[in-house]
Amino acid sequence: MNIKLNKNDILLIIVLLIISIICIFILNKNDKKNKVATVYYNNELIKTIDLNIDKTYEIEGYNGIVKIKVKNQKIKVLEEKSPLHLCSKSGYISKSYETIVCLPNKIVIEIEGNDLDTVVK
Amino acid sequence: MQEKINKVIWIIVLLLILSFIGLFIYNKNKKEEYTAKFFYMDTYIYVKLYDINKETADKYIKEIENIYKKYHELTDRYNAYDNVKNIYYIKNNDSEEEYIKIDKELYDIIEYGTYYYEKTNGLVDISMGNIIDVWKKYRDNKNGIPTKEELEKANNIVKIELKNGTIKNNHPNIDLGSISKGYTTKIVGEYLKKNNINKFLINAGGNVLVGDKKQNKEYTIGIEDPNNKNDIFKIVKGDNIAVVTSGGYERYYEYEGKKYHHIINPKTLYPSNNMKSVTVITSDSALGDILSTYLFLLDIDEGKEYINNLDNVEAIWYTNDNKEIKSNGFDKYEYKTK
Repeated sequence: MNIKLNKNDILLIIVLLIISIICIFILNKNDKKNKVATVYYNNELIKTIDLNIDKTYEIEGYNGIVKIKVKNQKIKVLEEKSPLHLCSKSGYISKSYETIVCLPNKIVIEIEGNDLDTVVK
Repeated sequence: MQEKINKVIWIIVLLLILSFIGLFIYNKNKKEEYTAKFFYMDTYIYVKLYDINKETADKYIKEIENIYKKYHELTDRYNAYDNVKNIYYIKNNDSEEEYIKIDKELYDIIEYGTYYYEKTNGLVDISMGNIIDVWKKYRDNKNGIPTKEELEKANNIVKIELKNGTIKNNHPNIDLGSISKGYTTKIVGEYLKKNNINKFLINAGGNVLVGDKKQNKEYTIGIEDPNNKNDIFKIVKGDNIAVVTSGGYERYYEYEGKKYHHIINPKTLYPSNNMKSVTVITSDSALGDILSTYLFLLDIDEGKEYINNLDNVEAIWYTNDNKEIKSNGFDKYEYKTK
């Protein structure tokens, strides 16, 4: 059997290829199991941080720069501008239910996962 | 031959397109969980809605934010807002009126507070704004503590008098800090249930309220360890419950090595140090908020007896010497890890 490919066939193959690549990408994205912290300003997700990489980040808070440090899969706020510095005093977090809240800076840092639904304090 | 193959290929393409349209529609209506974060009432508010599509979630999250914003403005002691008669407005009203007309929402929350003033023998007192102001001044300046004389001088409390949607214009210095978060969370919960949004979790600065089970699972709520802010000492589980903690370890300032927190006993005018924290579980988040403050001010034995005599309310205390004390029925909420 001799199949000759015409222009339409080639176009079709390309389209199918692109679609399958997109599918693979979408499916893979949901399967990622990296330990990740998410940083919010107000209700807006502004940064996703891979906790496997030790690094220092600078994020714009309400009062200015908020410095965040990742070390050994833990994350903490190094420096921020606020009256009581509660959020830089709160230290490293690493568990999924832990949260750092910088109220004056409207910054929230969470660890992704679902060990617990919430923590009351 | 070539034509036949082409036909088959085009049918495949058509099916693919159809399935993508289907996938798109499915995704659009897919029920997922959506979260939102707000900052009102000087606290961090976290809301999660389960088994809901994006459009509905967006709509209700906006409405929830509006409710918190509204109560934030009504209960704000330090700021005036355009067209809002809040407690700042009540305190600073210089008109000649004998009674001021206020919104039903504000009237109801003040009435709720005054009702529980009686019920708690004056320990949950929304009229002690003067005392809160004195402590706030010292806390903001991180400079010493007020003397007994200064506090007693400020303790000339104006009684709140409500009448048919109005409040007496005698400049009461109202502080709703001990009830506004739990009260507003209750309002939000009722609003969601009324609109048939039944699976939700709200955490408004130590006031947790959860709705019906999600995926047939109860909610798990950790209670923070007062000694180690990155840890929890107890996990409770349940649905349609409010879990509220009062503790002195979250908001405080230090002076000469001693910690001074924000929960002031209206009888002594000083922060209360009977325990490190207390957590109340009940179905009503407004009541939970009031009871957690009440229990924090009572001594533990007295509080335990009080709770054991109430139906459908449980509590757990974390003592100054790091022990836990539970009310009689607490165990049914305790989540045991396997």
